[in-house]
Amino acid sequence: MLKHRLYNFLSNIDRILMALIMLLILVGLITLASATHQTTSLIGNQIINIIVGIMLLIFLSNINPKLFLFLAPHLYILSLILLISVVIFGFESHGAKRWINILFFNLQPSEIIKITIPIMVAWLYHRYQNNINYLTHSVALVILIIPCLIILKQPDLGTAIIIFFSGLIVIFLAGLSIKFILISILSILLASPFLWSTLHLYQQNRIISLIDPSHDPLGTGYHSIQSMIAIGSGGFLGKGWSYGGQTQLNFLPETSTDFIFSVFGEEFGFIGIIGIFILYFLILYRCFDMAQKMQNTFSRLTAAALVFTLFSSTFVNIAMVSGVLPIVGAPLPFISYGGTSMVVSLTMIGIIMSLHSHKSLIAN
Amino acid sequence: MNLYKFNYTLKQRLNFIFGLLIFIFFILLIKFFYLQVIKFDNYSSLAKSNRIKIIPIPAIRGQILARNGEILAENKLIYTLELNPKNKDDLNKIKKKLSNILEITKNDIKKYKKTLKENYYSSTLPIKTNLSNIQVAKFIANHYKYPEIFLKQKFSRSYPQGKLGAHFIGYINRINKKDIKRLKSTNKLKSYMGLDHIGKTGIEYFYEDRLHGYPGYKKIEVNAKNEVIRTLEIVPPIHGEDIILNIDFKLQKIAEKSFGNYKGALVALDPKNGAVLAHVSKPSFNPNLFINGIDEGNWRRLRDSIHKPLVNRVVSGLYPPGSTLKPFVALAALENNIRQPPFSIVDKGFYNMPNQSKTFSDWKKGGHGEVDIIKAITVSCDTFFYGLGIELGIPKINNTLRRFGFGEKTNIDIPNEKKGLIASAKWKKIKYNKKWYQGETAITAIGQGYTQTTPIQLALATVKLINLDSTLHPQLLKENVVPEHMESNENNKAKESNGILQFNLFTKNKINTKAASDLSLIKEAMSRVTKEGGTAAFIGRNSSYNISAKTGTVQVFGLKKDEVYDESKLPDRLKDHALIIAFAPSEDPNIVVAIIVENGGHGGATAGPIAKKVFDAYLNETN
Repeated sequence: MLKHRLYNFLSNIDRILMALIMLLILVGLITLASATHQTTSLIGNQIINIIVGIMLLIFLSNINPKLFLFLAPHLYILSLILLISVVIFGFESHGAKRWINILFFNLQPSEIIKITIPIMVAWLYHRYQNNINYLTHSVALVILIIPCLIILKQPDLGTAIIIFFSGLIVIFLAGLSIKFILISILSILLASPFLWSTLHLYQQNRIISLIDPSHDPLGTGYHSIQSMIAIGSGGFLGKGWSYGGQTQLNFLPETSTDFIFSVFGEEFGFIGIIGIFILYFLILYRCFDMAQKMQNTFSRLTAAALVFTLFSSTFVNIAMVSGVLPIVGAPLPFISYGGTSMVVSLTMIGIIMSLHSHKSLIAN
Repeated sequence: MNLYKFNYTLKQRLNFIFGLLIFIFFILLIKFFYLQVIKFDNYSSLAKSNRIKIIPIPAIRGQILARNGEILAENKLIYTLELNPKNKDDLNKIKKKLSNILEITKNDIKKYKKTLKENYYSSTLPIKTNLSNIQVAKFIANHYKYPEIFLKQKFSRSYPQGKLGAHFIGYINRINKKDIKRLKSTNKLKSYMGLDHIGKTGIEYFYEDRLHGYPGYKKIEVNAKNEVIRTLEIVPPIHGEDIILNIDFKLQKIAEKSFGNYKGALVALDPKNGAVLAHVSKPSFNPNLFINGIDEGNWRRLRDSIHKPLVNRVVSGLYPPGSTLKPFVALAALENNIRQPPFSIVDKGFYNMPNQSKTFSDWKKGGHGEVDIIKAITVSCDTFFYGLGIELGIPKINNTLRRFGFGEKTNIDIPNEKKGLIASAKWKKIKYNKKWYQGETAITAIGQGYTQTTPIQLALATVKLINLDSTLHPQLLKENVVPEHMESNENNKAKESNGILQFNLFTKNKINTKAASDLSLIKEAMSRVTKEGGTAAFIGRNSSYNISAKTGTVQVFGLKKDEVYDESKLPDRLKDHALIIAFAPSEDPNIVVAIIVENGGHGGATAGPIAKKVFDAYLNETN
């Protein structure tokens, strides 16, 4: 009887996706062990983060998506309040105010809003799905822009960009006309000199050092150069686990969080990179397949937006450590050390599973 | 927009987004391929240089010793004050803090900043070198006040004899761009890791490779903060060899002293093996000035002095040989079967050129009367040699001179040796595009023409009158081991001199009797130079051993017609140069000298006594 109930409880989990995610998390743990010089306390913390995340995932996969639909505006408002309170009460770390202390753990509201914005925008389009027009798009844009501006203020350029683009993707999926999109892109390009002047000096420096990392090898270019050295010196086969000189001798900064992928690249080489890319591809494919099979606007939009958010974080991080994008400070989902990132990523997967397994419950 | 169309668009765009993400994956994969496969070598070496640092351990430079172990160049322990560059001390504050002990000059700060830039990962860098004992004592007494300043001991080159022998000992100085270029081209730069000094002249330069040794190194692994994680490898340095010279220190001292205030050069050789027993070039300089970069004032003073103290006159000073050339010219005549005894002339004090009105006068008014070849050398009769030269002709004279090493480097083991010059018709044509006159042959025969020699050449030529070993060359180094880089020189020399070897009448074992009797005739004449009636009679007068010699006097400027040379009326600078070549004991010579006293007047009078003092010192000691 109990066994049967447990089975029911787990039946909403997509086994393929879960297996892939667990594999990715395992790779992350192995890499983290090397990056932290096998510091047991940190690995233990991360395992706790994973367990908490998985429990939340299982819980969410059993939630009826109707509840998400119902809660969407409330969750959005709540996360906005949290975001604003970071600006007021939050504490600083690494020159940015991103964390807020709630009860016994530190929360990063900008990570939570990665979930609530897609749900909120999807809610909007779902509600007005029979009459989507420019007004709907405009409202969606406002819902999106308000939190982005607050996050920019923290300042956290990386997260703001990821959230903004994930939101834009929802609007795009919701059918915003191609002509309008092209005009918008053009006007943004024209406005970019002005936008440049609104960036913080350190953000400007990061972009300059991307174009020419040797420009300031000990300043902003340092991290980028050291990261590329780590990856490049890994070669085809890698240096082997815990044998990455760049990592082990601390030439590489932030090895357990933002630069964990460089550690992976150094120690497992191009072979390892191909392997992990295949893993990413399979996860991506599975998620899109699930989204395509969903039967209502809310589910599809939410699932697509969450997948896109996850993968844009992944891309931004990988592009950053390999010198394609400037160093913006974005964790790598499922792999970087950190509770919020891990729990939020697993939550997203949990929501996608819920939307998938309850696809018939909300009809159009 | 209807719902059907909406859903259709959504599905389409979902596929588009999926495609877009796959596309981004590919771009990133290409980037990783570029970094890890194409640029692997580049990044791999960057990673290595990131973490592995090589700290050189310098070798201790070898000492330079005289033949009995007297120290000519050594490494002295000096005290330095050093700072830890990591502390980023305010240099002005340090300067103020130390002001009651010593003064930190602008130069010191400049030097410190320079070494800081080079950054060899040493834990401390010098701000002040060469502290006096009092300064060291004061610093130690107040050490607690300067926790950031470290007192260190280091080895520094020192020349304890000061000016004595400075020209052949040479000196070291900081490595400059020219040195680096040279070291690179000879692939030796690696052996200078961590060193900033190199031999610049003299023995210090010539035997640089043996003196400076080979540095060791410490391979260390550092982290991103340049903190040492562990030592991977230590290779100890190979310290430089000590160089022992043939120089007889006591002799050298006496030789230098006997010059008094005169300028000039002296070289004493052992005729048995070419060993350089003494090597004097006056005036001299203090090589200690150069060790850590000579200051502008001293450098200017030395460089611009009209007495040219930096020139090593023994190997670089070019002088007309004057009458010291006469024994060799006389030998040329004998070898060519002219002027052999009993041939003689009657010297009336001048020589008339055949078929010409031109007249050359002897140094002695009224002449020497009846003169044969022996007397011609003994009294240094110019008239005899004018005629001899003209009859023999310049090519034959030069053939003999070449065999005695004139116009060629002697290959003594110090740098900057000059070749000297054997004047010939061909040389004059090339140099001045002018015809050779017979009169020039006449004055060349008495050593006053264009022909120029260095003191070391004169000494070696004299040795060759005694020792018939044609491979003999003067050598400062006591050992017989020929250093590697000299071997090639030797080979080259052998090739170059092939043309001359064919004239060689006497190799060591095969000496033909004719050549032997010619030589003994010349030597007999030279032994009479120090006897009554000879030009250097007074040095032989009270001598316990027999001396053979030939004096010479060289005009520094040409007298105008009708002008009479009067030594007492001339400023020193324009007085004649005095020369002598000599060896003793005449019967079995142990020492050969060649001396030039610049503006010393008559050869016998100033150069002679110096030769006698050197002989006394050397022969009385060895006997």
